[in-house]
Amino acid sequence: MRNVYVAGLGLTAFSRLEFPLVELAGYPAMQAMKDAGVDRVDHLYVANMGGSRLNRQTGLASAVVDSLSLTPAGAESIENGPASGASALKQGYMAVASGLHDVVMVVGAERMREVNNLEATDFVATLTHPLAEYIYGVTLPSLAGMFTRLYMEKYGVTSRHLAMVAVKNHDNALLNPFAHIHQKITLEGILDSPEAMTNNPYVAEPLRFFDCCPVSDGGACLILVSEEEAKKLKKPLVRLAGVGQATDTHTVQERRDPTDLLAVRAAAAQAFAMAKVKPSDVGVAELHDAFTILEIVESEEVGFFKKGEGHRALERGETRLDGRIPINTSGGLKGKGHPVGATGVGQAHEIVTQLRGEAKKRQVKNARVGFTCNFGGFGNNVVCLVFVREG
Amino acid sequence: MDIYAYKCRKCGHVNYPYRLVCKKCRGNEHEEFDPVPLPKKGRLLTFTRLHTLPADFLVATLSLGIVELENGVRITGQLNIPEPAIGMKVKGEVEPVRTDEFRKHYGMVFSAEEGPAGSLRRSRPVGKRSRRPPH
Repeated sequence: MRNVYVAGLGLTAFSRLEFPLVELAGYPAMQAMKDAGVDRVDHLYVANMGGSRLNRQTGLASAVVDSLSLTPAGAESIENGPASGASALKQGYMAVASGLHDVVMVVGAERMREVNNLEATDFVATLTHPLAEYIYGVTLPSLAGMFTRLYMEKYGVTSRHLAMVAVKNHDNALLNPFAHIHQKITLEGILDSPEAMTNNPYVAEPLRFFDCCPVSDGGACLILVSEEEAKKLKKPLVRLAGVGQATDTHTVQERRDPTDLLAVRAAAAQAFAMAKVKPSDVGVAELHDAFTILEIVESEEVGFFKKGEGHRALERGETRLDGRIPINTSGGLKGKGHPVGATGVGQAHEIVTQLRGEAKKRQVKNARVGFTCNFGGFGNNVVCLVFVREG
Repeated sequence: MDIYAYKCRKCGHVNYPYRLVCKKCRGNEHEEFDPVPLPKKGRLLTFTRLHTLPADFLVATLSLGIVELENGVRITGQLNIPEPAIGMKVKGEVEPVRTDEFRKHYGMVFSAEEGPAGSLRRSRPVGKRSRRPPH
């Protein structure tokens, strides 16, 4: 297989955006083409989860490719729940690595704020099993709440650890002009003060408001090219070196040990093996912290820390911007936002920005290997990517 | 009323929820499963109280949990327990759990096996909201 490089990057702010879905996909694509210095692409993959339901837009890829006047390039929409973004990158990787295409555009876009919160919650809840979970009123926060309670019982994670993740990611988001949430929070304000229950009410006990990501609109784009095309670029070379994907049972109840995220473990192992690097080589990572507990658990499952040790590493500050392995430098889903279909592409955007050395105030030092984990459903479909800076 | 699980005729594994191919032996001949009613008693594995509900639920909070039933099968259900605790003994009944614009959906609702049953599964209604007319 051929090597695959990232040639161009584009991103909208993650926020509430009053543009049609096609434009949320189109603006970052235009930016990425300018960044890569290309005026044509061979193929377009568009990651999106809710266009047909939330925005009454089907066949998004066909609309985007024409809006960008890139016809007759091939175009496909990819829907894989909240892991759509990384799934689309995986498709782009396969297209270039196989030799089928030389220049591939991968866009992720989502416009969730077009509907109200009840509909948005219900839309995401349709990821759950229709008969064994959905009919009971199970939503993604409720699965995360039940998961968190077990994790607290088994490994001694506390609400304070969860709040520390939120504080860290909000601090990182303050350094990211594209992040949805620009709000400084403190442990006192969301946990200790008498007003904490008002500031930070329960969503799905024991998870509170500041343990959950916001509902965002946004778009992100990466352009992937072959080695030959990459050599023409003036940008620092970043190679998409490893791709891993794994699945787990649809329902959470059926997992032998419900505190294990086996799909994360398997997907990460595949990606590291393919890239021929170890978790300890990683200098910057974006993990899918749709709920604060997930950042802690994923940091263990992908191999940065031992199982049950993630919250200890967090306490020691190892995952902060200046720590040993900075996690979610963009602010993560918690601070940067979570436009579901765009999230995976957004994570890759942050990692490539960091590896190129273009992250300005939130730049980590000496990172040559970056990692993303994009988590679909409640851990039933996970895609992990490894990026390596060359030269 | 019962909730059914699907017992594989080849290996005896009880599949819940329904799937096309047995999780254990991958037996996938047609009609290879016997429907068997799930037991009603079990122990609470984990739980949450949900404060942000999807559109069909006109209540302030909803308690949900995963229960490990006597035969080892796990099921997600609603809880009618004021103070749930991990490991407590619970007993289920099949009741309406969700009403959408088309019909009532039935599912398992658990209460504590010992002591008085609480009424916190559905807390006080949040005012009267207008609903879409029934079809």
